[in-house]
Amino acid sequence: MVSDFLHKVTLFQDLDGPTLATLTSLLVLKKIKAGDTIFREMDASDALYVVERGTVVVSKHVHGDVDVVITRFHPGDFFGEMGLFDAGPRSASAQAEIDTLVWLLRRDAFHQIMTDHTDIGAKICYRLVGVFIQRLRATNEQAREAIRWGLEATGYSPTTDPVLLGRKST
Amino acid sequence: MPDPAKLELLTRTPGESGFQVHEVESSQAHLLFKPKRLPESEWELTAQPRGPDGSRNYTLRSFRRDRYLLLSPKENFLWELFDGSHSLTEIGKAFHFQFGAFDYGVIRQFLAKLYHAGLLEEIAGASDFQRSRPDKRGRRWARAGNSLLRLPSRLSFKLVHADRYCALLFNRGGFLLFHPIAFWASMILTLIALFAVIRLAPQAREISLRLAAWPLLVTTIIISLLPIVSMLHVLVHALACKSYGRKVREMGFFMLQGIVPTFYADVTDIFMSSRRARVIVDLAGPMVEVVLGSLAFLCAYGSTPGLGQSLFFGAGILLWEGAVINLYPFSFLELDGYNILADLLAMPTLRRQALALYPTLPRRFRTGEMLQRSEWILLGYLGLCLVSVLVYLVMHLDVIGIEIRDWRFTG
Repeated sequence: MVSDFLHKVTLFQDLDGPTLATLTSLLVLKKIKAGDTIFREMDASDALYVVERGTVVVSKHVHGDVDVVITRFHPGDFFGEMGLFDAGPRSASAQAEIDTLVWLLRRDAFHQIMTDHTDIGAKICYRLVGVFIQRLRATNEQAREAIRWGLEATGYSPTTDPVLLGRKST
Repeated sequence: MPDPAKLELLTRTPGESGFQVHEVESSQAHLLFKPKRLPESEWELTAQPRGPDGSRNYTLRSFRRDRYLLLSPKENFLWELFDGSHSLTEIGKAFHFQFGAFDYGVIRQFLAKLYHAGLLEEIAGASDFQRSRPDKRGRRWARAGNSLLRLPSRLSFKLVHADRYCALLFNRGGFLLFHPIAFWASMILTLIALFAVIRLAPQAREISLRLAAWPLLVTTIIISLLPIVSMLHVLVHALACKSYGRKVREMGFFMLQGIVPTFYADVTDIFMSSRRARVIVDLAGPMVEVVLGSLAFLCAYGSTPGLGQSLFFGAGILLWEGAVINLYPFSFLELDGYNILADLLAMPTLRRQALALYPTLPRRFRTGEMLQRSEWILLGYLGLCLVSVLVYLVMHLDVIGIEIRDWRFTG
């Protein structure tokens, strides 16, 4: 059952049945209630999460009590992949929007795969690179939008002339 | 402490190789920015009457750039908050609590509108960046195309210092036109003229036959008369505007909707006054045709039958018809009648709104989205304009048909 689900996850699509069975033994299941935080921005990062059920909202702090929602993850999606390679702090917060079920792949488990099963590690890494590229493109697009907004809001606006009120009596 | 982060903006000139790089403070491009409107001495804000949906718009005038903006209730709310003490994040929150929607798009568009009208304090360097941006006119063929599109505007001209001349004219007797006695005298004159028209009506056929016998003379007189009346018409609009102490921004000649040669008086400043003032300014112009037409009818009534009487009668018809056409609101043109309708409905951009609504209708009918009261009014306006134009076309096709039949019969 678990391997059926994992086979649908983009990250593990290149893995066959026995390999997935090996991988499953390294994953940890975690239930999160709606509204609970999975990790906070600036927390130490140590794992990748795969969503089996529910919805996860990822947000980034802007100012005061305001966060901007960056994205949402649904069943089959994964997040927190930076934690597999980098021990740096989390770049955003993740919280469950509804009751959610996630699988954790911890960094030490991932390193074990990379050491003991290099072929599995290579396949996962190849998929990860594809996802990194996709997300980087999306981030670039968001950054461009944010800058455009900022420029327009502060008078550097390259917008066309707005419609003005006028009355020509003829 | 490290230097503040910078943003580098890259711009290119169409049709040219290379690019320019502009550096701006990135700290100025985030949500902590606090927009600040200019001091009160630089602008004027006037509340408009409530519209059909109960909301109230505002007109905002920039003294610095002599521009006028129509503010929606949401935009007026934002304007109040642009006092330099609220950051965009705080404004966004307040906007959310007030209107139940976190719509940064409205804030951004409104800010752009205010910068354009010169109503917000600009960040040092922003205007330099605007000035240093490359020319967007593009390639030669594109410039030629634009030049062709701008042809109607090249046929226009405007009177410099129109407000000064109008004020002079108003103070030296123009004010008498707006005395109640002048109004009642016009009404009595019109009633007497109506009586004269009724008395002359049985002779209408002879009068028109006499005019038809002198086509060149009649055409010359009409062509000479129309511009003079049109100039007087707009001058009275302008003087009416002065009678309310408002500014006449300019007067001149232009191609209405790009096709109709027309004299005009820019009385936008009357938006800073009451609805009554606007309606009176709108009505003042057509009163010229009504009064001159009445005088022409009286002259015709007092003349002995002949060419002179026919010319007076014809001029009277032409002038009164001109007044009616001007006061008819449903022609797709923004004539005086349209302005009166827009003022009475408290929808100053009625035509623009109606034309913007039209493309959305198929989707809305498909999805079953209900129209609001103000949108039904817009739809009614569009429908009546369409019917009016169709009736006009059908009537004139009919006229052409009769002429063709007559030509075949006589031929």
